Amino acid sequence: MAEFPSVAWFEAVAGVFNSDESYRGAGGGQCHCQAGIKVGKRVFLLVFEGFECAEVREVDVSELEPVDFYLEMPLKDWKAMVQDIAANGAASLHYTLNTLDLNREAGLSHSVHGDQYREDLFFRYNQTFQFFFDASARIKTTFAR
Amino acid sequence: MAKAKASQAAADSKQGQPGAIEGIPQPKFDWAGRSNQWGTRVKPGKHGLRLGDLNVGIYGEIPEYWPDQTRNPRGAIARKGVPPVGYSIRDKAGLWADSAADLYEEAIQRRWAPATDVPWETIKPLNEGLERAICQVCTELCQYANGDIEAISSWQHQMSYGYHEVKQFLATASFDGARQYEAFRKRALCNGGGLGLEGPGKVNRMILESRGGWSEAVTYLFLLRGTFTMTMLRYLERAAYNDAERFLYRHTLQDKARHLTYGLEHLQYAIAHQEDMALIMQQLMFIGDRIFAREMRDNVLREALAVIFAGGIEKAGSEGMAVYREMMTDFMETYLGHCSWLGVKRNLEMMPQVLTQYVTRA
Repeated sequence: MAEFPSVAWFEAVAGVFNSDESYRGAGGGQCHCQAGIKVGKRVFLLVFEGFECAEVREVDVSELEPVDFYLEMPLKDWKAMVQDIAANGAASLHYTLNTLDLNREAGLSHSVHGDQYREDLFFRYNQTFQFFFDASARIKTTFAR
Repeated sequence: MAKAKASQAAADSKQGQPGAIEGIPQPKFDWAGRSNQWGTRVKPGKHGLRLGDLNVGIYGEIPEYWPDQTRNPRGAIARKGVPPVGYSIRDKAGLWADSAADLYEEAIQRRWAPATDVPWETIKPLNEGLERAICQVCTELCQYANGDIEAISSWQHQMSYGYHEVKQFLATASFDGARQYEAFRKRALCNGGGLGLEGPGKVNRMILESRGGWSEAVTYLFLLRGTFTMTMLRYLERAAYNDAERFLYRHTLQDKARHLTYGLEHLQYAIAHQEDMALIMQQLMFIGDRIFAREMRDNVLREALAVIFAGGIEKAGSEGMAVYREMMTDFMETYLGHCSWLGVKRNLEMMPQVLTQYVTRA
């Protein structure tokens, strides 16, 4: 049982993600980037190296500047996504990262630097990030109030 | 050690070898020991032994101009008297992107097999209007894929081997096109429908007939049409009716994102290394936008997408077209954003109204 959002939650998801070899095929694969996750005012940094999510840290918002891109939603929207994944075993049609990016007025994926090359990593590694969040279906989640 | 063994072998051969068979030439081994750089030991890193890791010593020397006109692998000793192949692209600025080797590895890693990876069993019968629309879009995506394969392969054989990273990446991009064709043909033929109407093909023709150089083809193939296809795939993924379609759109999107990365990085490199390249691109886009706009005037793709976005024909004219408009707005914003990132100035007043009608932000 881990609370979302927290380092413990992301580490638990990373544990599932890193140990399941099925995430390495069928369009998944090695991934080299730093992604930020912004949940309300809290910010988490995920470092992906090779087949693994190698590092999770809670950071200050100023540390979003060097990340390749970051995903931002208020807690209630993250909660809806995580609950949908838990209910279906993977994101349903309305909760994939791409759909959330399109459906939200301000989008989901952002960057501070505006570097197109690095922003596009969200699309190049999209299946890996989807696999990562889909892995959360296999951990028990509680939510911060 | 290996060099010494080779020298010994060469010495042995001069003296004749025991057990030699009459009529069969004695090996001379005079090729052994010949190398521009021997003793290279590239070790696999934590991510394996990657193509880019091999760029050490002379093997990593990638000159601005590659004079060799043969298929000699970069770093090997050239053989005298080999007839020239006639490569037309021998300037690094004409094709290079620093990420090409990594993108090649990424393409190999992220391969997927439509036959077995796609959950085809999740496709259930849909209403006929919707099935026809999906099949129509699949038909046009197949046609795009055909254009991609032809365009890439028609340039690839003109690229010299000094820049093998790019040639290898483009081989995967060509294969991605083949897979796109396969995947969408399968979707069209697996649920009681069939292929629809051939698209206008004006953009395909423009890409295939671009003769000003590979950079020109990249501008049209990856920057213009690639960005449009990516945007369309994103909206199709959102409107997918089952897990199989969602898989198809998302994985093709990932492939397309790789192509766009190469395209943007190459164009950035070309602009940085050729004085008037940004101006040339401005002119190319002026032409390309018009042909793209002409293709966009065709109602077939637009209406088919509207039917998919609305869940059927009934609301296609209202809800579906509203989503289509949203998609085109996103496309124009992304496309103009790419141009701006590359430093290519665009004048909206010079662009066709068919496209500028979707520009909501200056």
